[in-house]
Amino acid sequence: MKKYLLVTTAAAAMVLAMGQGAFAQATPGADLDMVLLPKFLGILPFDQAHAGALEAEKELGNTKPLQFLGPTPENSVAGQIEIITNATTQGVGAIMISNNSGDQIVPAVKAAVEKGIKVVTWDSPIPSAEGEDVFVAQVDFAETGTVMADMALSILGAEGGKFAILSASPDAANQNAWIAAMMDALKDPKYAKLEFLATVYGNDQSEESYDQANALIDKYPDMKLIMSPTSVGIVAGAKALQDEGLCDTIKISGLGSPSEMLAYTQNGCAPEFALWSFVDLGYLTYQTAYQLATGTLKAEEGATFTAGRMGEFTITKDPTRAVGLRILMGPFSIYNKDNIEAAAKE
Amino acid sequence: MKFLDRLRSWEGLLLAVLIAIVVMNVMRSPYYLGVGNIVNLFQLSIEKVILALIMALIIINGEIDLSVASIMGLAACVLAFLFQSGVPMPLAVVAALLSGLAAGLFNGFWIAYVGLPSLAVTLAGLIGYRGVARIFVEDRAIGGFPDWFNALGQQPVVGPLTLSILIFVILFIVIAIILHGSAFGRLVYVIGNNAQAARYSGVRVKLVKMVLFAASGTVAASAGILYAARLGSVRGDMATGFELDIITIVLLGGVSIFGGSGTIVGVGLSILVILNLRNGMGLASITGNTQTSVIGALLILSVLAPNLAQAVRLKFKGRET
Repeated sequence: MKKYLLVTTAAAAMVLAMGQGAFAQATPGADLDMVLLPKFLGILPFDQAHAGALEAEKELGNTKPLQFLGPTPENSVAGQIEIITNATTQGVGAIMISNNSGDQIVPAVKAAVEKGIKVVTWDSPIPSAEGEDVFVAQVDFAETGTVMADMALSILGAEGGKFAILSASPDAANQNAWIAAMMDALKDPKYAKLEFLATVYGNDQSEESYDQANALIDKYPDMKLIMSPTSVGIVAGAKALQDEGLCDTIKISGLGSPSEMLAYTQNGCAPEFALWSFVDLGYLTYQTAYQLATGTLKAEEGATFTAGRMGEFTITKDPTRAVGLRILMGPFSIYNKDNIEAAAKE
Repeated sequence: MKFLDRLRSWEGLLLAVLIAIVVMNVMRSPYYLGVGNIVNLFQLSIEKVILALIMALIIINGEIDLSVASIMGLAACVLAFLFQSGVPMPLAVVAALLSGLAAGLFNGFWIAYVGLPSLAVTLAGLIGYRGVARIFVEDRAIGGFPDWFNALGQQPVVGPLTLSILIFVILFIVIAIILHGSAFGRLVYVIGNNAQAARYSGVRVKLVKMVLFAASGTVAASAGILYAARLGSVRGDMATGFELDIITIVLLGGVSIFGGSGTIVGVGLSILVILNLRNGMGLASITGNTQTSVIGALLILSVLAPNLAQAVRLKFKGRET
């Protein structure tokens, strides 16, 4: 009897262990038409995501070449709908969308789903999650606040100092969420020496952001740091500091892309900033869509899978939306003079 | 007579181009001839092509309406705003149509009765109506419309045809009859050729212009409502930039930007050329800037070709005219 118990316990333990280790694995070599659809063509991050998706394609040995299709910026909504509709007509296996059309994309996506096409969103989800299998999120929005606060602290050091924020537009949902998250994080006593001055808006236009940065410099002579949670603002702000010859006394940080920030990090204007890797985002998105379309992965809460070189991921409920499933990529990559050169080449 | 010949040959040219495109599409994609694809081909641009029909009348009349896309946005936003405020959907649809009629009458008043150029008035409308639309909806997206409403924009009503496509076909026939078979249609041409002369010969120029702009506003509002139903939700930036695509279709159809000439058959052919070209490129996975460039090149050719032909003809005839 005792022996029997032992055996069953061992067997149960084995099953448990196997259950925990049962990450879905991709079956390479499928014959699968896949479409990667960015918000629009012609900006660096989407090209990086494309590169990452191609890397995954090569690894998985998909015999059908990936289609990277996007609208022009001024025709984004109608263009995305048109591309999805045509992909549906062609009966592709999976569509990967960085949604720029809010819920207006839903009817087109539903038509795709009815035809058995898997729909994965990345970078920007479908708000109502209707028709979407899963959203591959780059980072957790709340984490952004902590990352920004930590960078501010590491640049200003123990004695602290005053800082201002140069944001995108006053109604940019992402930036507002990130700034709010940073303000939240700053309540922690370890950031007590950081003093927030004001937020200004450059509307993600280089010229306007440059002027706003200069206005901050003039208005707050004792300002030590500008935080800019937008890749346009951070470059424009860095240029303003450099042009004024102020990089020794005022620094800039925030979210930026390494290739655009290389010079400013090397000359000390922007000693440290953060971003997620769009290459990785494209890679993970392709892995996810491939496994959903080949059936090794089901889009349901708690499903786990191995995404090639990036390791294991779990599908969870999306805490940032009322409904929908999410795969969280994370974490941030922090760039400084030690790693920026390599990252800028991506 | 020569003039008529030229028109006929223009439509002939469009027809030849259309046949070439269709043949190419058939050869390149096995999906092209499917019923679903042909319906999609119209559905994806249906609001633009509906508006191209009324725009043709306005341009033949010697005017232009740049505000149509903004009126589409305005009507959609009025509809969404009222729906969200608890107004029953049918009432909201009527109110949206009335907002388009009002915008059209407003345009028409300044153009016909005050005598301001339509380019300036409707440019102001393009900015102004969009502004009002954005006030209604702000930076939100409003959706969750009743199923019957969304179905109107998405589901077929007769055979595989959607309501929007039926409206397009009916409007095409009605406008063809008005333009080419009625006294009103003749007035549209006469005014477009020479508004001054028309006025002196007792034509009620103001009334004709007023009617055209009011109709344009109302049709634009209908297109906006259909667009809202097709997408199932409304944003303030809906249909932004559509006016240029619409005017492109009309000009490619052989309608003179200076007014007074053009046929609805030409516009119909132009619609088919552009839609089939877009669809063929889409199925061949040509999108973005390449697609825009090809259509742009077609338009440049369409402007150059007749002038070039005329220049060559003049040269050979030793400048007899």
